[in-house]
Formats: sequence, C-alpha cells, structure tokens
Amino acid sequence: MEEMILKLKQEIIEVLNLEDVKPEDIDNDAPLFGEGLGLDSIDALELIVLMEKNYGIKLQDPAKGKEIFKSINVMADYIQKNRTR
Amino acid sequence: MTDMEKERNLKYTVITDKGVTVCGRVLEHNHTGSAMLTEIYRAQLGDWPKFFKMDTLSKVGYLAAELLLKELGERRLEGEEYASDRAIVLFGTTASLCADRNYQETIQDSDNYYPSPALFVYTLPNIVTGEIAIRNHYRGETSFYVLDGYDTGSMAFHLQCAFQDDVTESLLAGWVDSTDNDDFRCFFTLMDRADASDLKGLENELKGIMDNLK
Amino acid sequence: MGQPGVLRGVEKEMARVIECIADNVVSPLGRTSMENYVNVKAGCSGLARYEEMDRVSSPFMLSRMDRYLMDELCIGLGIPDGKYTFFEKMLLSSSIQAVRKSSIDPSSDRVLFIISTTKGNVSLLDRDVKGFPHERVLLGKSASIVSSYFGNPNAPVVVCNACISGVCAQIEAMRALQSGRYDYAVVTGADEQSPFIISGFLSFKALTDTPCRPFDKDRTGLNLGECAATVVLKASDAPACGWVLEGGAIRNDANHISGPSRTGEGSYLALMEVLRKCGSEGLAFVNVHGTATAYNDEMESIALYRAGLIDVPVTGLKGYYGHTMGAAGIMESILSMYAVQDGTVLATRGYAEQGVTYPVNVSPENRPAHGNRFIKLLSGFGGCNAALSYAYYS
Repeated sequence: MEEMILKLKQEIIEVLNLEDVKPEDIDNDAPLFGEGLGLDSIDALELIVLMEKNYGIKLQDPAKGKEIFKSINVMADYIQKNRTR
Repeated sequence: MTDMEKERNLKYTVITDKGVTVCGRVLEHNHTGSAMLTEIYRAQLGDWPKFFKMDTLSKVGYLAAELLLKELGERRLEGEEYASDRAIVLFGTTASLCADRNYQETIQDSDNYYPSPALFVYTLPNIVTGEIAIRNHYRGETSFYVLDGYDTGSMAFHLQCAFQDDVTESLLAGWVDSTDNDDFRCFFTLMDRADASDLKGLENELKGIMDNLK
Repeated sequence: MGQPGVLRGVEKEMARVIECIADNVVSPLGRTSMENYVNVKAGCSGLARYEEMDRVSSPFMLSRMDRYLMDELCIGLGIPDGKYTFFEKMLLSSSIQAVRKSSIDPSSDRVLFIISTTKGNVSLLDRDVKGFPHERVLLGKSASIVSSYFGNPNAPVVVCNACISGVCAQIEAMRALQSGRYDYAVVTGADEQSPFIISGFLSFKALTDTPCRPFDKDRTGLNLGECAATVVLKASDAPACGWVLEGGAIRNDANHISGPSRTGEGSYLALMEVLRKCGSEGLAFVNVHGTATAYNDEMESIALYRAGLIDVPVTGLKGYYGHTMGAAGIMESILSMYAVQDGTVLATRGYAEQGVTYPVNVSPENRPAHGNRFIKLLSGFGGCNAALSYAYYS
C-alpha cells in the first residue's frame, strides 16, 4: 500500500503540474482541495482522467469525485478496492 | 508640447524562445525554450504556483506582463481591491495552436483516448488575458484578436479602438504567438490613452518593437 | 427619435449612429434569419441526441448542420465546390446572403470584415483529416479567405474571445465605425462542433445528453450547436433609424479561468456599463447566455439582480440551438431583433421550474414584449463577459 501511495503521489504531482511539490510534502490525511494542496475544479477533472487512465476506474459524476479525492488515503483506499488495472 | 509631439517611448518586454528583454535590459539565462520560461519564472518571480499549470502561450504572456509590471513599479492590487480601468488586449497569428496540438494528442488515438480538461481549457488564446487579469485583479476589458500575419497597422488601430470604452484608462497591449512548447515569441507594453492618440506614431512604435520578434 | 450617447474619448462630431442594415442566420433551423425566427417561435429545436461521434464514445446533444444541405446551399450561392472547409462554408454561406441583402460593395476599402470564432478550422489538426494545407488551421488565414472572397482589400480581424466573441465582434465593429476609418463592417461568426470541441466539453463534464434546461432547478449542463450568423453594420450621420447598436462593454471576473465568478462580477460590470451608456428605457428583455450549467445560470441571475434587472423579462436560446460558440453572440442578437419587432419575448425552451437564487423573469412560453430595446449578455472561458444594447427606431 505504501508503494502504491508513493506512486499515486508522483502521478498526481506530474498530472497536475505541481512543480514545487515533492511526495514527502503531501500529508496522507490532509485535504487535497480547499486548503492543503489547494486544488481546484479543473484539477478534480484531471484526477478523474487519471483514475481511468492509470487504474481503469470510470467516474461519471464529478461530485462523487470530490468525495473520493478527499485525501491521499481516501483516494488510495478507493483505488485499491475498485481498480481494474 | 502637443500629444503629436510628445516623445512616444513605450516601455516593453520581449520574450522569444531565445531570450528575455525587460525595458531594454537583457535577462541572464542558461536554457532556451520552455526550460527557459521555468528558469526565468523561478529567478524573477516565483510567487504564483499556478504558472506551472499554464500552457506555453499563457506562460509566455503571463511572464511578459508580470516582468513589465514589476519593472514599471506597478503596485499589485490585493484582497478585495480590483480595477476596471485597465484593459488587456492581445494579438497574434497562431492563437492557441500550441495548446490545440497538445490537446489533439490526447484524443488522436482511439486506443489511448484520454481527453485532458487541463489542456482543453487552454485551447482558447484569451485564457492568457484571463490569467493576467486573475493575478492582477484587473476587471476591465480583456480581448484577443487574431490577425493574418505580423500586422502592426491593424494592431495599432484596434488598440486605439479599445480606448473608446471611456472607463479604460490604461491598457496592457501585447503580441503573443506559439506553435509548440519550445517555439514562442511575444512583446508586452503598458499604454495609456495618450499613447493611443497618434495612430501613425503608435503603429511605427509597435513596428519597431515587433522587429525584436523576427 | 433618440440620439445615441456620445462616447468620451471620441470627438463629438465623430459620434456616428451604428445601424444594423442586414442580417443572416444559417443553422439547422433555417437558411435565413426569418426562417430561423419563425421556427424558433414555433418551438422547433435543432437538437438531437448522438450516442457517439468519431472517437467520442459518450452520448451528447448536438444541433448539427446537415453537410449535404450546406453543400447544396453553397452551390446555390455560387460558392465553388472543393475549395473551402466546412467552417469556411459556414462563414461564406451566411456572409454572402447578408452582404447581398445589404447592397453594400464589399470590395470597398471602407468596409471591414470581422470574424468571430473560437476554434475555426481546428478539425484540420486531426491527422485523419486531409485535403487542406496545414496553415488553414490559422484563424487569420480563414478570415482572409472570407474577406478576399468578397474582394475586400483590408486586413480582416478575428475576434477570438471564447464564447463572448460574437458580442465582442459587434462591439469592435461599432468602434471601428466610430473611428471614422470605415463606413461598414461585415461581422460574421461560426463554429464547427468537431470532435475536438465535443470531447473537450465532455472532459469538463459540462454537457448533458438530454435537452438543456436553462435556469431550471433540474438543469444538468450544456448542449452544443452549429450555426453561422452575420450582421452588416453601417455608420450613419443621419438620425437613428432601424436597428441601432447603442453600446457594449467587455469585463473580466478576474476570478477563475473556466468557472464564472460566484458573484457574477464581470457580467454585473458589463451590464452596468451598458446601462450607464444606453439606459434601460424601453428595455423589452435581456437575452442571456443561459447555458444551463449549474454555475452559469446561477451567476447570471445574481448579475441581473445586482444590476437591477431581475424583473426584466429574460429569454435564452440555447434550448433551440445549443451553444453555438463563435456564432452565439451574433445569432442570438439577430433573433432578439426579430423578436422585438414581432412584439415577442421568445420562450426559453427547456425551462420549467425556477432553479436559481434570484428568480429570473423567464418563461417556457412566448410572451408579449413591450419596448424597443434589448440587451444581449454572454460569458466565456477566461473569465470574460460582454453585454451590448440594440434599440429599434421606427
């Protein structure tokens, strides 16, 4: 799981162009949206693409996305349970 | 001294994939192309992480505007302070072609079909004006005009037209083109109503600045 | 008989009356403005559901122009076959008709061509699409193709300001004419709904695969549409007569590059500026953007409320045409002109029940219009917003 979380963080940093952020800077339980990383609505949409591209998980409803992307841990947990890749 | 006789002396920044000049001062850099943009951003600004999310056209336009405003000592509006009297009017020939090509890559291949919203949002050249407006709290007019070729005559004319909005007192004018991530050129200048009053003079001045791009 | 407001910064002697002397709309609902108006008034819509298109494999609603009918129209107008892309045919088929109606000489150097589009020939970027030189993807090239079709010697300009381009193009035409350098402007706009655009909006989760519902409490997103529209504007030194473009304003939210300001800042500022310049006397309705996304319609209701226009009748046309991007500002202005002259506030197709914070004065039925003026309001990506005001003088 730890390896998966590190990979997930690296993917997020790359896909969202978080140039000055390193995986160790992201707290696993910190909110990704609002405070924390301060991601916005376009970032949420890109994470939806990431879920499908890297893990084969299709999310139709952006509102559901906000729940799943609450924190790294919540996201990793969801991926673990639902991935098809 | 009448407006016609006034020494028209627009201050401007120039950015090409080879280098950056701010009001005549050449900036030091080790890289070229998109790496240079990152290098200059970190060395000169470094205070807006959203920069890294921008497409090339927006990065170039954003940098040129920020470097110019900083050099001219413009006070940054913050908090609830916004201004409607400064317009941002940009011109170019390529529009968002660079971003268009990058986005097309995400939809070209049906076996690797992952349309990217972060790329798609930049497939409109006026987003450059939006990025500058957001950073600087400018709630004035923002516009983007595409021309067929390096046409400083049309640019001067449409800049003069922009001042027909009598709320507009000053205007960030620019030319910005990019065909791919490592090919780009732009210039930005800050002008006021008086700078736009003599059309021929303005055209000549823009022509001189445009020569830096070729 | 009124006098338009004099703009500060333009010499009083130079303030000319800007009249719309000809118009045309080419869309799935007709080849002329009148045909379009009659169909819209009768409640017809060009929207249809598509399960997929090309590599786009999700369903969406689209008001799509029939390619064969377009070719037929072009042949009838004398446009040579095989020379022009579909996007260029859209512009030409509409502008030719409008220019003919206007009786102007489009080859005169006193005529300026202004094109409004968001993506032009972007479909040429698809490596499977062949037949045209790559440089045709440049918007300036398409613009020159249109202006040189008419033998016009002036460099045309393309307004590429996201979804507000159509209103901006008319504002820029007004300014160009006020400057005294030109006497006429042909303002023509269009956008082809290629897989490029459709896939992009799908990636934004902005589209709905059911007919859109502007301002409705159950609205779930945009529909897309294709259309070409043209107005021919004339600068006159005579007293105002017919449709007069009285003023316009463009303002940015300075908030977010894709989402509208939650307080409708830019829309509010644009509306206030237009009201300041043109007044609201005889205002029959506001033709809004009304894209039926959760945020846009909410934002517009706030902007209308803040501008003191919440009781003015509101009409939205996206339920008939979908969002036609570069053509929207022009087409929706033209239909508004026909509506005012017909004494009608057109129904907002798709609306049933109020779903915004400040209840806008919108209806699913056609209603009687009172007044000789309308305001056209639009918003677009990049945080931009624009409004203009037209008034009819008989």
